[in-house]
Amino acid sequence: MTHHNPVAHITHLNVQYAGQAVLSDFNWNIYPGENWVIGGKSGTGKTSLAKAIVGEEKATGEITFHFKEHSACPPRAYYVSNWYQFTNLEGDRNFYYQQRYNKFQKNDTLTVYADLIHFGQKNDLRYADAEPILHALGFENCKDTQLIELSSGEHKKLQLVQALWLNPQLLIIDEPFTGLDKQSRSNLLDLFNEISDKGTTLILITNDSQLPSCINRFAEIENGRLKVVEQAKDLSKDNVREKKPLPYFLQQEPETTSQNIVELKNVSVRYGDKVVLKNISWKVKAGEKWLLQGPNGSGKSTLLSLLNGDHPQAYASDIWLFGTKRGSGESIWDIKEKVGIISPEMHWYFDRNATVWHTVASGFYDSIGWFMEVKYEEKKRMEQLLDFFDLLPYKDQLLHTLPLGKQRLTLLARTIIKNPPLLILDEPCQGLDVAQTTHFNAVVDELCAHGNTLIYVGHYESQLPSCIEHKFILEKGEVLQEVTI
Amino acid sequence: MANYFNTLPLREQLNQLGHAEFMDSKEFSDGVNALKGKKIVIVGCGAQGLNQGLNLRDSGLDVSYALRKEAIEQKRDSWKNATDNNFDVGTYEELIPSADLVINLTPDKQHTSVINAVQPLMKQGAALSYSHGFNIVEEGMQIRKDITVLMVAPKCPGSEVRAEYLRGFGVPTLIAVHPENDPEGKGWPYAKAYCVGTGGHRAGVLKSSFVAEVKSDLMGEQTILCGLLQTGSILSFDKMVEKGIDPGYASKLVQYGVEVITEALKHGGVSGMLDRLSNPAKIKAFQISEELKDIMRPLFQKHQDDIMSGEFSKTMMEDWANGDANLLKWRAETGETAFEKTPAGDVKISEQEYFDNYLLMVAFVRAGVELAFETMVDAGIKPESAYYESLHETPLIANTIARKKLFEMNRVISDTAEYGCYLFDQACKPLLADFMTKVDTDLVGKNFNEGKDGSVDNVQLVQVNEILRNHPVETVGVRLRKAMTAMKVIKTV
Repeated sequence: MTHHNPVAHITHLNVQYAGQAVLSDFNWNIYPGENWVIGGKSGTGKTSLAKAIVGEEKATGEITFHFKEHSACPPRAYYVSNWYQFTNLEGDRNFYYQQRYNKFQKNDTLTVYADLIHFGQKNDLRYADAEPILHALGFENCKDTQLIELSSGEHKKLQLVQALWLNPQLLIIDEPFTGLDKQSRSNLLDLFNEISDKGTTLILITNDSQLPSCINRFAEIENGRLKVVEQAKDLSKDNVREKKPLPYFLQQEPETTSQNIVELKNVSVRYGDKVVLKNISWKVKAGEKWLLQGPNGSGKSTLLSLLNGDHPQAYASDIWLFGTKRGSGESIWDIKEKVGIISPEMHWYFDRNATVWHTVASGFYDSIGWFMEVKYEEKKRMEQLLDFFDLLPYKDQLLHTLPLGKQRLTLLARTIIKNPPLLILDEPCQGLDVAQTTHFNAVVDELCAHGNTLIYVGHYESQLPSCIEHKFILEKGEVLQEVTI
Repeated sequence: MANYFNTLPLREQLNQLGHAEFMDSKEFSDGVNALKGKKIVIVGCGAQGLNQGLNLRDSGLDVSYALRKEAIEQKRDSWKNATDNNFDVGTYEELIPSADLVINLTPDKQHTSVINAVQPLMKQGAALSYSHGFNIVEEGMQIRKDITVLMVAPKCPGSEVRAEYLRGFGVPTLIAVHPENDPEGKGWPYAKAYCVGTGGHRAGVLKSSFVAEVKSDLMGEQTILCGLLQTGSILSFDKMVEKGIDPGYASKLVQYGVEVITEALKHGGVSGMLDRLSNPAKIKAFQISEELKDIMRPLFQKHQDDIMSGEFSKTMMEDWANGDANLLKWRAETGETAFEKTPAGDVKISEQEYFDNYLLMVAFVRAGVELAFETMVDAGIKPESAYYESLHETPLIANTIARKKLFEMNRVISDTAEYGCYLFDQACKPLLADFMTKVDTDLVGKNFNEGKDGSVDNVQLVQVNEILRNHPVETVGVRLRKAMTAMKVIKTV
């Protein structure tokens, strides 16, 4: 294809994970002008490969880079992981997912602006060059926001802004599109094409079908080695799950005593002078299936946190949950008992010591991680449910070591193990490919056929459960539209 | 006001000191009911005040905040903390008269002035809660006889109290009722309900007394927790630099090492911490920690004696009255040490390396934990109380050192702890001067195992293991840690 030296020349690469070979005798040349997509089945070692290339994972073998000397792009390989690992001001990483709603005057984490300045100084970049990228990703209003306050989609944007600003000669991005709203995503495709023109070689790890036009090579990992394919559609798909009947306990209609599951009247959330939600009124009746939509940062997660007992400002607001006014003597555990919730933030801050079994068991008590013995009948339920999701073989593994798709299914199992009247699924398919998403949503449809109330957050029309019948759309903290489909 | 403890006859002193019972979870089956519908007013909205209030409200209780008029008018941080979380806020005059339970969560030093302002406004038969007994026991504050006085003291920083509650767990907590102020017998039901409201009942609760809490808390914080960690850190750093170890490396090893080492202590006790060393290193650490115990024992005993007699609090309160002259001077001196001024180097130190290259700190921690525990128990404090105030809190303090060195540790702990810490540090360094001349880089800075073949004498190893595992701090620790099954891993580095 070309006679230049490869940008990266990888020979006899071996990577092990927990005693098992992930990559073995792996060889790959990445030439200038090429932009790759690495896709294929989950759990094949894509992330390990990326980390090995940039030296973040132990590997044997040889990786040689041939960077151009006279280029505007820094001569280095840079990897963007699928989650932004930040620390608080004291270097700690122990966050809990509700932390951004609990306001304390002393800042825990840097602001977006301070974080960017720090990144710019470390890498010798001009702040003015970051501004068009911030604008293209709709992120310019977040400068004063603390890192802990960002939603998962906004964290992804911050990572992308840094990478695109750095503009390295080799850029590897793990799941670049996760959690982005439609507009940002389409702008991102253009930004990828731009930096490719400027001389960056791109490697995107994704199974997404909407790709920037600069992508011209496709490959997957098979048995620890690279397998190049012609086009994106030739990449292998995960096996379609065998359809099993829903466990009997989930075919029962959950008990609800109230006609209205959720009722908000003119609810606002503000921090000091900053208004996050403004005059929201919303009624969700028992059994209804709602879609909640809006761009990143429009207030979706904050709104949901009001419904799950996670937001302190739900007190002294006109909010009724399951027929009871918030702040009338109920505890948040009384509320959580009736709600099954899954969100990207909860996923990322979940207990790192939890196995699959303990994760699901914690659903009985709504705890993050497992602290109490489960009873015999509860164990039976867990076995049935894990079998339904094909997760039984993984039950003793640590949750965070499984492929992303299996982690999400485990958290869904945790969410529904108590068969709650209200399911809140906040971007449950973030990071899943089309086949996994279809599978996940089919399960949601099946579940919700038995009278559960559903509030679902998803950015893409093509990736929603078919049971959705109402839409609630937010923009900049206000209700933009309320529609019945 | 007279020191309360010193007014008691000996048998009553011993009785209150020996108050410690690890509570069965069944004792909390009534949940928060004793406080349901009661009006709870918290005074102070810093880290403990805000986070405990958030938990209590999330448990279905009625919580509001009483702040001083100036704090409200000037919209200070405490006011913002409360209002940003949609709490009702008012002045003492507005809120205290209707309160059923007033929770005092202001800094120790302000207790006398806060109580003097609040007490006259409290209604007949109300309850007053503290999270530390200094004001009652050492300052001898007298509370009106119709008022119930209780204590709920979560053994963690406020941010952890909140984080653990939201995970569905809690932090270990100590509760007490002041025997002079329990006119209606509602002290314990209130204390238990309050403890459930913060989530503490899930992580192990110790039924204690104001006296036992104060005398053990002061002892722990002055000696093992702050004093010894400060002395050990500074001596270790200076030794490494003296022996030609790169200062950046030395600074990093000391700053983070104590956190990594005490994380092993938290999960597996003293023996679990020493198990992280190779066999020859373990025997060496055992031997030098025995030596350290002999050297430092009289100093630990002096601290305990001064705490029991009231000498310590008397001297400190004199410094309070003198505008904190000594405290401020000593604080400034700590900021000037070479360790404090040398930033941690940009070197990677693996988790195991922190043990292998910092054997001296393992020995310091073992010596300090065991000495503090032994000295407290010898003075009549129960092993359960002594465990909480020595071994249990060491990793928490170590975490503050990892964050921003000793300056941060002394900033986070109370002024009382800080004052005692300096007293200990000043007396301890000269005591250890001879010992330190014998210390070389195999104990601090370089891998102890380097150039050794790893062989040990079987019988000697068995003996060492036996002595470590049979120490009473280990026996009681195994029992208490069972209740804290879900302890979170703390990792700064």
